[in-house]
Amino acid sequence: MFILGFLARRLAQGALIVFLVSFLIFTLLRVIPGDPVRLMVGGMAPDELVEQIAAEMGLRDPIPVQFMRYMGGVVQGDLGQSFIRPASGAAVGGAQFDDATRSERARVLTLIADTAPFTIQLALLSMFFALLVATPIGVYGGLNQGRWPDRLALYIGSLFVSLPNFWLGIVLALLLSVHLGWLPAIGYQGFAYTILPAIVLAVEIIPFILRTLTVSVAQIMRESYISAAYIRGLSRTRIIFAHALKNASVPLLNLLGVQFSMLLGGVLVVEFIFDYPGLGLLTINAVLQRDFPLIQGIAIVTSAAFVLINIIVDLVSTSIDPRLDY
Amino acid sequence: MTVETPLLEVSNLSVRAGRDPEASLILNEISFCLEARRILGVIGGGGSGKTTLARAVVNWLAPPLRVSSGEVRFRGQDILRFAPEASRSLRGKAIGYIGGDPAGALDPTLTVGTQIVEKLRAVEPDVTRQEAKERVIELLAAVRIPTPSQRFNEYPFQYSGGMMQRAMIVDALISKPELLVADSITQPLDVTVGAQILRLLRDLTEQFGTAILFISASLPTVADVSDDILVLDGGQMVELRPTAELIRAPGHPYTKKLMDELPMLWSKDLGARLKPAPAIAEPILRVSNVGKTYSISPRSGIGRARRLQAVRNASFDVFAGENFGVVGESGCGKSSLMRLLTALERPDTGTITFEGKNIFDQGAAATKAFRRRMQLVLQDPYSSLPPQASVGDIIAEPLLIHGLGGRAARRAQAMEMLREVGLPAACFDELPMTLTAGQRQRVNVARAMILEPQLLIMDETLSALDQTEQGRLLDLFERLQAQHGFTYLFISHDIAMVRRVCARVAVMYLGEVVELAQNERLFFDPGHPYSRALLSAAPTLEERRYRSEDCLLEGEPPSPIDLPPGCAFASRCPHVYETCLKRNPALTDRGNADRAACHLLTQGSAQQKDHAQ
Repeated sequence: MFILGFLARRLAQGALIVFLVSFLIFTLLRVIPGDPVRLMVGGMAPDELVEQIAAEMGLRDPIPVQFMRYMGGVVQGDLGQSFIRPASGAAVGGAQFDDATRSERARVLTLIADTAPFTIQLALLSMFFALLVATPIGVYGGLNQGRWPDRLALYIGSLFVSLPNFWLGIVLALLLSVHLGWLPAIGYQGFAYTILPAIVLAVEIIPFILRTLTVSVAQIMRESYISAAYIRGLSRTRIIFAHALKNASVPLLNLLGVQFSMLLGGVLVVEFIFDYPGLGLLTINAVLQRDFPLIQGIAIVTSAAFVLINIIVDLVSTSIDPRLDY
Repeated sequence: MTVETPLLEVSNLSVRAGRDPEASLILNEISFCLEARRILGVIGGGGSGKTTLARAVVNWLAPPLRVSSGEVRFRGQDILRFAPEASRSLRGKAIGYIGGDPAGALDPTLTVGTQIVEKLRAVEPDVTRQEAKERVIELLAAVRIPTPSQRFNEYPFQYSGGMMQRAMIVDALISKPELLVADSITQPLDVTVGAQILRLLRDLTEQFGTAILFISASLPTVADVSDDILVLDGGQMVELRPTAELIRAPGHPYTKKLMDELPMLWSKDLGARLKPAPAIAEPILRVSNVGKTYSISPRSGIGRARRLQAVRNASFDVFAGENFGVVGESGCGKSSLMRLLTALERPDTGTITFEGKNIFDQGAAATKAFRRRMQLVLQDPYSSLPPQASVGDIIAEPLLIHGLGGRAARRAQAMEMLREVGLPAACFDELPMTLTAGQRQRVNVARAMILEPQLLIMDETLSALDQTEQGRLLDLFERLQAQHGFTYLFISHDIAMVRRVCARVAVMYLGEVVELAQNERLFFDPGHPYSRALLSAAPTLEERRYRSEDCLLEGEPPSPIDLPPGCAFASRCPHVYETCLKRNPALTDRGNADRAACHLLTQGSAQQKDHAQ
């Protein structure tokens, strides 16, 4: 009963958030300078043609009308069609203003569905790397507050947080791909192509996890139920694994939720550097091409993902700590 | 008769804070014996080393504390020389430990039952999960937790303080220990609940044959349960004698001092301190039919919101120049009432008038003027002062808020206040960090009285202080009242303090004023069964006028959410009868403006006798 009520309430809130985000993006895209139709038809096309196509596409209607028409499609699962990209592949553009194959332009949903798995794979792998490194160091640091493991966690965190990701990406590509030839770096032709960008992203996330873990583990170890547990006759192993880590996992989970949402939202720089065909690269290209429907689609999908991840994090947190009440 | 080794034998135990032989001595050469089935009480003030002693006995001293010499022999073996693993198996199994912080003693994310099962299986790995569960539920029933099989699956935050302390007793007794160390276990509990826990503890020692080391800062509490008493002062053992003998003729000056400081409820004549309320005076504060209900929305966000009735139909008058007390235990609505009296919140029903004006029917400027005439001194001496402001600035701040005087004038006035509350002038530029709890409360008092208010509301102002400091502050209050003509409203759970200072007292239970009486009448002829229960549970060494066994049924106050109809005290009242469950009694006049809300008062006296038996 609690779960159902919770889900109903949170999903309703989430739908509202997604709606507001869509409206904001939609309006902003239409008030900024730059006419997408001109970009589509090319610089050589006559003005009348631009106006004609724009009118055909409904781009001269008032913004609220355009928005409602668009949202009508969205609720039915139709995010519209790309202005620029054909269903077949290579980007259209330039002078092909008389190209009559506009109906064959790619569907936004298909474009996103094709790239999202790459980004999800990248996000999961970088999360995995980050946790693999940060969990033991962070927990050990938290258990030994003020001593060397704590300082080690601090130093690693400070070091990693000050490495710029574009620089690290380039250096790692140079070292691991070019010099050593261990890992492929550019593009995507298999799972191995995910590893290098995932490492770069993991380095970015590790400082946050380290900080959260050392602080929360150290704080939990000072709680009275931990010292009481020793007097009650529980073993240290049991206290740490069954009680301390369980309690320390709630703040970590919240952090991971936020970080994962950011990774899904498209890691622009890293995907760009490694030419990784994920949502980030798709976003960059869509923005450069003023491909309004695609930008909107990406915004809606990522904000929906944000909302869902937050709901899942809160649900899991409540099941770990029943005192929490969202 | 053979000479048996005692169960616990502590000999020449010394504990220092650090390895250094010069490090400060926390315990100095403590020696005592404890036999099976006996209860040894340990009494001492703050910093006397009593908690260190408790921890040393279970071999769990946290660094920097360490045993510098001596032995703790349990069944003849020195447990201080045990390897950590061996002493762990002893702890929790043969020696149980209950601490003074029941609320924080268990992991908040796991059910109480799971954790007690976990502990039992940690010390007795052979017990199956099912067996362990059955044993836990059986014992939860033995400590009189209602519906134990359901309570087994609840989380610590769903337990009240008293229930949690019962659960911790189960946790300690589940492995059938031979020795139980109970460190300040009644300290955080309400007196009526604490009295029940003590009763329970005595029953259990009979039943299980457990020896108890009972540690507390309250002499009456220790005297209540213990066969012998050990008095600790500054880490020194000053006295160890059988309880009755010690109480009759304390040998050491420190013990004598402890006993002299104890508040007396009945034996001392306190009349001189208490000014009777002037018969015809106009009340300075008039509370009539005030009620406040909070609504709590359900966790899922859908469904009916529940109603928490924090204050129900409270009425009383406070006259100028008198000391008025509001007593009651946690959850009785004292703090909600304070928020209403200070106009921090609006009541749902009823009115509050101060000096003839309704405090809620006025504009912002008038409210500010009202607040200048009425000041509040809070309970917590630590969080009620801003840590980064100097004492002088803190005291002068109300003047700044009300725009009174220039910078120099404010400073001079603050300095004057500092002197008046008995703080050294050197404090003026210090941060509150350097002050003791008592000094901080003096700063709080100075800050409140710098505006020269008419009424001072003391919300548990003295609760955080020890006996000695409480006495000094009460003397200060008395002096200030004589000088400035203040009216005090004391909100407190401490009935002994109320006995000392308040001319008239309102007793609250679950949001209601159940009795309103003059001091003498309340203590010698209480009109409400709850007042009697409160008196029976108050810690005192005096001959009791009321025994808690007769005045209080097992159980805790019902939840203020969705209260059942009828009298709220019915579930714990030994005199309960049908009418009590149906109708809530109204305040009935008992003569002399004393009133109480009990059906027995309106019944014929013959009937009252019937039900009382």
